[in-house]
Amino acid sequence: MKRFPVIEMDGITKSFPGVLANNNVSFRVYPGEIHALLGENGAGKSTLMSILAGLYRPDAGYIKVKGVKHTFKSPRKALTAGIGMIYQHFRLVNNFTVAENIILGTKNSIGMNSKKIEKEASEFASRFGFDINPNAKVFQLSLGEQQKVEIIKMLYRGCDVLIMDEPTTVLTPQEVKDLFNTLKLMAAQGKAVVLITHKLHEVMEVADYVTVLRRGEVVGSNRIEEVEEASLAKMMVAHEVVYNEVSHQMKAGNTILELNNIDVYGDQGYLAVRDINLSVKSGEIVAIAGVAGNGQRELIEAIAGLRKLNKGSIYLEGQEITNLNIRQRLARGLNVVPEDRIGMGLVSNLNVLENVILRTYYNKEFLDGMFIDYKAVHTYAEKLVEDYNIFLSDLKHPINYMSGGNLQKLLLAREISQHPRLLVAAYPSRGLDIAAAESVYNILLQERNKGTGILLILEDLDDIFRYADRVAVMYEGGIKQILNVADTNIDEIGALMLGTQYARKLS
Amino acid sequence: MSNLKKTKKTLVLILALIFIASMVIGCGSPAAQDDEKNDDKAAEKFKVGFIYIGTPGDAGWTFAHDQGRKYLVEQIPEIETVYLELVPEGADAERSIEQLAQEGCNIIVANSFGYGDAMLEVAKRYPEITFLHCSGLESAENVGTFFGRIYQARYLSGMVAGAMTKNNTIGYAAAFPIPEVIRGINAFTLGAQAVNPDVKVKVVWSLTWVDAVQEKAAADRLIEAGCDLLAQHADTPAVQQAAEAAGIYSIGYNSDMRSFAPNANLTGPVWNWGPYYVKTVKAVMDGTWKPEEYWGGLEDEIVDLATISDKVPAEVIAQVEAKKQEMSNKEWDVFTGPITDQDGNVRVQEGQKLTDEEMLALDWFVAGVEGSPNP
Amino acid sequence: MIKTRIIKREYDSLAIKTAVPLLAILLALLVGGLFLYFSGYNPGETFLRMYKGAFGSSYAISETIVKAIPLMLAGLAVSLAFRMKLWNIGAEGQIYMGAFAASGVALTLGDLSSWILLPLMFIAGFAGGAVWGYIPGALRGYWQVNETITSLMLNYVAIFWVNFLVFGPWKDPASKGFPLTPRFSLNGYLTTLGDSRVHMGLIIAFIIAIVFYLILKYSRWGYEIKVIGESQNAARYAGMNVARNIILVMLISGGIAGITGMIEVSGITHRLQQDISPGYGYTAIIVAWLARLNPFAIILVAFLFGALLVGGFGVQTFGIPYSIVLMLQGSVLFFLLAGEFLIKYKIVLSRKEAN
Repeated sequence: MKRFPVIEMDGITKSFPGVLANNNVSFRVYPGEIHALLGENGAGKSTLMSILAGLYRPDAGYIKVKGVKHTFKSPRKALTAGIGMIYQHFRLVNNFTVAENIILGTKNSIGMNSKKIEKEASEFASRFGFDINPNAKVFQLSLGEQQKVEIIKMLYRGCDVLIMDEPTTVLTPQEVKDLFNTLKLMAAQGKAVVLITHKLHEVMEVADYVTVLRRGEVVGSNRIEEVEEASLAKMMVAHEVVYNEVSHQMKAGNTILELNNIDVYGDQGYLAVRDINLSVKSGEIVAIAGVAGNGQRELIEAIAGLRKLNKGSIYLEGQEITNLNIRQRLARGLNVVPEDRIGMGLVSNLNVLENVILRTYYNKEFLDGMFIDYKAVHTYAEKLVEDYNIFLSDLKHPINYMSGGNLQKLLLAREISQHPRLLVAAYPSRGLDIAAAESVYNILLQERNKGTGILLILEDLDDIFRYADRVAVMYEGGIKQILNVADTNIDEIGALMLGTQYARKLS
Repeated sequence: MSNLKKTKKTLVLILALIFIASMVIGCGSPAAQDDEKNDDKAAEKFKVGFIYIGTPGDAGWTFAHDQGRKYLVEQIPEIETVYLELVPEGADAERSIEQLAQEGCNIIVANSFGYGDAMLEVAKRYPEITFLHCSGLESAENVGTFFGRIYQARYLSGMVAGAMTKNNTIGYAAAFPIPEVIRGINAFTLGAQAVNPDVKVKVVWSLTWVDAVQEKAAADRLIEAGCDLLAQHADTPAVQQAAEAAGIYSIGYNSDMRSFAPNANLTGPVWNWGPYYVKTVKAVMDGTWKPEEYWGGLEDEIVDLATISDKVPAEVIAQVEAKKQEMSNKEWDVFTGPITDQDGNVRVQEGQKLTDEEMLALDWFVAGVEGSPNP
Repeated sequence: MIKTRIIKREYDSLAIKTAVPLLAILLALLVGGLFLYFSGYNPGETFLRMYKGAFGSSYAISETIVKAIPLMLAGLAVSLAFRMKLWNIGAEGQIYMGAFAASGVALTLGDLSSWILLPLMFIAGFAGGAVWGYIPGALRGYWQVNETITSLMLNYVAIFWVNFLVFGPWKDPASKGFPLTPRFSLNGYLTTLGDSRVHMGLIIAFIIAIVFYLILKYSRWGYEIKVIGESQNAARYAGMNVARNIILVMLISGGIAGITGMIEVSGITHRLQQDISPGYGYTAIIVAWLARLNPFAIILVAFLFGALLVGGFGVQTFGIPYSIVLMLQGSVLFFLLAGEFLIKYKIVLSRKEAN
């Protein structure tokens, strides 16, 4: 059976200032196929798909849809040709209902009343096997459900090729399974799906075909049966990735951090953290798992000293620090790597020198009267850069020229060089490619082996099982359960992340 | 590589533009030299320079002065005039006066009181130049001050207003509470009362000399307060336009404002600087000029009443003309007793008159004015 | 077919940073020249006169400096707040309050020797402006009230306050009712340089520029300003007291604007009157931006701006109406600000592919 590709991209080249994002890329998608586009961060996956979706225009090359050449001037034009893209940040109107989001903005919607919209939406959704309440307002839905609405919306607009940019990052394991079932169903009905991802196991689980990009070029394109995980990983990073078997030491030392019944208010004035008890011991890594937005940010800020406790107390090495400010806590060895790498942990328009002293500029070693002793800062920065293998062009260049991995290393290096007793890090590998993430975790493991207590906020369950000793699952501001990593599995954690009721139903 | 190319391209572009620009300036230069020769010749011409607080296009204070300048050129064609408009009263004033002095002006006229310090300063450095300061306070060896008794014309316009109001409530949009303005309001009120003893004059301060928006706002407040005739001491025609829009009568100021409000405008006190300029410039040219603090009235035509609208009954016009004649002949002046103030105190006894000194320091309202002279 | 696209530059090279403003001025002269030409004036002659009016003689240069001094000081004042991304639009009002406070000292303590009186006026000027900067600063620091609005509104309060004083309680009895305070005693006159009207304000501006440079570049406090300006979250993470620094910066920014008011009354008008500042506080914002908030560049840009204003004003006697002069000045500004865009972005021309 000879099949014709629905999408043909040939010779696509696209450059941005200083970056050749795509170089002579050719890419084909066939109907009824789930096509994974695999690559590290910055490999050019999103650029390529943004070109296909009409967001960017290529410098060279052409796009054919069902054999006809197209130049898309806008995403709308691409959609008319049947290509729809779903971004990580959904483009839904929060205050509209599901039905309104699906129907409104199309030609059909003109002259429809709300009853008709509702009927049309639910009929259309059920045709594709979606079970969704058309009356619900979007803001009432979970992220997984919102994603479904996005998919239905695209299908309703007649799209034959659905591009999804890292769709699983915001989902719980159960929701991921759900999504993959949906995608398979769509493929069975002849739709093509392009899945942008850097997660190998997802590719193996759901894709029919995989194209690997590295540094803007195609390095491999195969049916899924013909490849295995290790070879894909090799293609992505160009060198063999060795996943170290990390030993879970558990030489549980003294208690470093102790949280007793703490309550913390969020910015909106509701309780974001409810009655949390947690301890971190010397030489262990405790991970906090949970869907983002369940109080992790507020918890970290409370530990750091940026947010007042409403109730409860915090002890560091047996001494109460509840009422100490951030500098006093830092002086006692409480270091924090915040979630916002840039904007809180580092300052983008400042140079490396200015960034390495962000937390210690007021200490004697960097001061010369009322002036900052930039010579001392220089020496210190050079040592950090050397010790932690940070790549940068010049200490006096603004850090926004540095890659995410190097920024995270710089941030960690700065905090660790202050000899923490407790190191709190939020999403330390977020947005980093495999190699960079590995080196970040290596730094953290080394620090643990020195006897530092480490508290991590993680979203990737694989990372939790690879690196953490204990895991605490956060849900709606509270901690559902604290488990030894060795005694649990991904499914249990996933269930806890969605709240116990769901978990009970499962078991 | 491509960056280098682009930088080169940019440089070529810049060079080309510099070339073009230098051509333009180059072409200009010979002409400039010619002009400088002209300048030298011009320096032999008798030159009068003006420093304006506003712009000749303001239809108000500066417009009236510029009319005077044009009249001067008409009358003495052999002289040359220049002016600088919109000169602020702060640090810029001295430089502007100095510039006119350096450009060879024989007489420099400034039309706002705030130029005084700067003018005296420059005058010290240029003893051969004659300086004339309108509404000024201090004269010197080569500095004279000049002003007009506009209150006389205001009295006459008040008579028209008093005769034409139906509900005896007249509004007066005034700029700043200084004696000059207060004197005008009093004169206007006395004029109105002369033909209509029951008349009241409501005063609203706009606290600006030239701001059409604020003046319009002041006018609107007066209309809301029930006034059926508006007068103004402000430089723009905004009050006239507000009256026209509200379908009520108005009295203008500075120059004939009829064209801005053909139906509303009845008349208005106007400035007529031309004759004074001609007389003074001639005196300077002849070498007969002496520093003086000139304050002329109707008799010198430096102040006058704009043509009275034909809506005003002939007998009222006749009454106004008679009073004007009386003042021109110096048989009578506005602030002749008895005059009582707002609180009922007699300020000018029967048979007495305010002296110039007293008039220049006037800070109270006559009875019949509603509002405060110290807002 | 040629398409144009706008692309952010990867780096801003020094060549471009200098070439673009030069190009902008040339373009402005070209466009302004064409405008003059078609309005019937000789562009070359006009520009020559503008140049002469600003730089043509030592007197012209001294007057350009006189005009530039308040722009320098006020530009420095607002630049400090802008460094912290605080939009102090209130320099105009702070100038008025500084002038008011300094005049108050000069009028009441005029008998003191100038060695005591001038420093007192200086301190009063600073304090007057500082209070006017403190109010929006505290509102912003403690209650997150937008300082753009409050500082702007306070301008009117300050201007009307000065008007009230010169029309009312502080009016010179000898002024026959005109709104002027009495002249200061000679002890309250700021020393001038030689015969010119250039006064000590120039030196004060230089000193403040140098101090600013040192503080912002090398000091601990300058570092805090930089971090807070870039990211308040990072500043809180670094344990900085954001609210206190916001208030301090607004206070000093206002204080320096207040000094601008003090030097204008003490160095130029020698009394308090209306219209002490013809919008210096607003022009200073443009000056500070064009100088990219660099203290020394502010001195230079203020001087060039002074030249543009002084030179432009003078060509009126050449028969060119002031409105056309304003048009010329506006076009220079327009091209300079448009040039700012070109420094950050480039326009790429490319041939559209045939379908």
